[in-house]
Amino acid sequence: MPTKQAPTRQAITLKGSTNLVTEFFKYAANTILFQRGVYPADDFHMVKKYGQTVLVTQDLALENYLDKILKQVNKWLLTGSVTQLVLAIISKDSRTSLERWVFDVNLVEQPSGQSEPAPAKPEAEIQAEIRNILKQIVSTVTFLPVIDEPTVFNILAYTSESADVPADEWVDTDPLAIEAGKSQQVKLRSFSTDVHRIEAMVAYRYDG
Amino acid sequence: MSREPFSTPSSLSSRFAPSSARASAVKRDSLAAELERDPQMSSAKRQQRTQAFTSHLAHASLERQLVAAHTAKTELETKLKEKDTIIERLEGDRRWLAEREKEEREEKEREQAEWAEDKCKLDSEIRSLRSSLLTLREQHADLQDEHAGLSRSTSQTITSQKSQVATLTRQVSLLETELTDVKRIAEERNRSYEELQSQLDELSAANESFVQKDTDEENWTIVREELHRQAEYMRKLETTNAKMSAELASLKEKHTSVEVLREQKRDLERRLQGYEELQEKSIRIEAELQAARREREEWASRSAEPSTPSKTPVSITQSLSALRLTHARLLEEHGSTLASLRQREAELADAENREKEAQDALEEMQLKLRSLKDKLDRTERDRILADREVGFLQAMLASYTAEESAQDGSKVDEASLQRIQQLEALLVDYKATIEQLEKELEDIGGDPAALGNIRSREDLMQELQREKAANADAQKALQEAEVASEKHLEQIEELEQTLFELRGEIGAGRHLPPGVRVLSMKENPARQWFDLSQAAMDRLKSENDALMKRLKELEQSGARGTGDSSTAEELVPRASWEVVNKEKTELEELVKQKEKRLLRLQQVFQAKSAEFREAIASILGVKLAFYPNGQVRVTSQFDLNAAFVFQPTSAGEGMKMQLVAQGDGGPEDLPQLMRYWVEQEQCIPGFLASITLECYEKSKMEKQRGYGA
Repeated sequence: MPTKQAPTRQAITLKGSTNLVTEFFKYAANTILFQRGVYPADDFHMVKKYGQTVLVTQDLALENYLDKILKQVNKWLLTGSVTQLVLAIISKDSRTSLERWVFDVNLVEQPSGQSEPAPAKPEAEIQAEIRNILKQIVSTVTFLPVIDEPTVFNILAYTSESADVPADEWVDTDPLAIEAGKSQQVKLRSFSTDVHRIEAMVAYRYDG
Repeated sequence: MSREPFSTPSSLSSRFAPSSARASAVKRDSLAAELERDPQMSSAKRQQRTQAFTSHLAHASLERQLVAAHTAKTELETKLKEKDTIIERLEGDRRWLAEREKEEREEKEREQAEWAEDKCKLDSEIRSLRSSLLTLREQHADLQDEHAGLSRSTSQTITSQKSQVATLTRQVSLLETELTDVKRIAEERNRSYEELQSQLDELSAANESFVQKDTDEENWTIVREELHRQAEYMRKLETTNAKMSAELASLKEKHTSVEVLREQKRDLERRLQGYEELQEKSIRIEAELQAARREREEWASRSAEPSTPSKTPVSITQSLSALRLTHARLLEEHGSTLASLRQREAELADAENREKEAQDALEEMQLKLRSLKDKLDRTERDRILADREVGFLQAMLASYTAEESAQDGSKVDEASLQRIQQLEALLVDYKATIEQLEKELEDIGGDPAALGNIRSREDLMQELQREKAANADAQKALQEAEVASEKHLEQIEELEQTLFELRGEIGAGRHLPPGVRVLSMKENPARQWFDLSQAAMDRLKSENDALMKRLKELEQSGARGTGDSSTAEELVPRASWEVVNKEKTELEELVKQKEKRLLRLQQVFQAKSAEFREAIASILGVKLAFYPNGQVRVTSQFDLNAAFVFQPTSAGEGMKMQLVAQGDGGPEDLPQLMRYWVEQEQCIPGFLASITLECYEKSKMEKQRGYGA
């Protein structure tokens, strides 16, 4: 349960919420990479998280890469300068974007009219929401086109112009757009903490 | 296999024992010789001998002690072994306890997790309960609002009822004032009556003062006069009554005549119908007549044609005249019937008039009769009243006579009489006033209480109308609002659709919102992959280039013979060689790794096999040695000389062991055992078990013997 003290509460929830969101990205990315077969299934091992089994990669290079990204994302989340995170799955051979997993990051506006802040959302509820998103990601394999070619992935961060960017690690890049007219999208569930609201969506290339 | 002779401790000891006995015998002999040789020194020698003997004894005792110590030592050793086993058992117990502890810890952790989960669940429950509390509060507030509304409406009704009460009280006060008026009138009447009474009293007093006879007569005259008047009135009434009845009789007669007239009229009407028939006939005849005339004219024209009347046949003229005659007669007849018809009609009208008059008269008479009856009733009532009055007067008279007879009647009676009279008069007055009031009420028409109700009902109706109108307005507004909301909903849906599509645009990455940068890590898997493939491509290209170059060189150098394999080998370009070299080093590394793994496996296997052999030795009491050719040497732990070599035979199913050699030790009855177990029963395990038992017995016995010695 969060502390009842009003002045410190906001700061604590911002940090806590940021950590929650970052953690969610980690597991979501792992789940997507496993479910979409970007990495061989043997690379993953089962971990109990959010009251369910989640598959997490054991590939050291990939782990390092994700950790680096998530550290930076955590910083950006604290300053509120990241608006969207995108996990793009790209065909190795044709270099076209096949899927874009989009996570919109919105700041939850505190209703100004209320003198008393709204009661903190219990972590169990948030976890239940996260669990539902992960389950939905797992279930997307039922409608997403089957990927039968080798793929790689990239993670894009949509940040504001004023965001603090470590120049030697991060570079401006192409948004890896999916060809117009061949893209379809499905909105997934969302979850929200007291500070952030994450809306998930998957856009995919479909040569109907 | 060690083929050295087996030596047992028992055999050693047996070899040793005779030698020691021989030595002691030699010693004794020398002593005896010395004793014989030197008798002088016998005492000293004896002493010496005794000393030697004692020392020998001491030595023996010490030896015994040593043996005892040995046994004690072995005992202690066995004890030590026992302790060791105990320690091992305890160790096992400790391990088991540690495992239990671990289990407990795990259980505890699990319980903690469960607890945390429960807590979370409870938290969520609390949340839901809070939300329900909130909703309940809202409901409460709603109910309060409703309550306020209801109280307001009730207060309104109360005020309306209060106003009603006020109007009713006003009416009541009005009625009260009327009542007071009436009372006042009554009082006035009363007063007047009292005045009259006083006059009467005065008169009676005067009367009393007069001669009683006089008064009596006067009274009588008054009474008689009154009676006369009444009688006359009665007579008059009777006469009027008789007159009325007579009139009624005449009217009844008239009525009968009217009835007769009516009958006549009906008769006439019937006759009139007959006349109508006649009229029809006459019309027909007229038509015939006209036809005849036309015929005649025809005839006339026809007669004119020949211009000689003489030509016309006589028969025609005759018939014509006859027809004329008939026509004239018919005309006559017609005229007479018409005249009679007119007459009848006139008569009918006359009769009707008369009838009407008679009816009017009848009505008038009936009215008169009714009024007369009313009057009669009234007079009758008057008469009854007069009768009552007469009765009253007679009673009064009787009282007077009683007074007269009792000359000096008490005044109390009089007073009471007076009082009674007074009261009666009052009663009459009241009756009258009540009548009057009732009449007034009738004039007004209806009771005032009903009026008030009507008014309120009207108000209510108006209010209801107003409410209905308001309700209709509200419903219309509601419908409008619903339509508007539906429109809004549609709009919202459309907007949501467009929003979703736009989201898709952004999600697919085709649209970049302004003021947003797209960043990615410099070192990302995609880049690495593409770099890698690029590198591979570059490598292949360079290899290819080198090959091409080489080919060109070869072509340039001319036909050096493609069949020369030694030169072809030398022609491999460096790039290819490097690739091959790299592969080789990789493979070598792989081999190294494999070797390392194999070594580790071997180590593990050796450790395991040693463990296995030890386990066999401790459990079965035999040591096993495996030979590369598949033979197995079994050596008893208790007798190292008892060794057997078995060889597996793959004949038949499974593996069977065959005894192929034996050591030169073993128990004495080995041949029997072998014959029984191996040859007869063919059971190697049984054979080994019995060997082990024998060996154990033997070793145990030897040990005991060794300690005993």
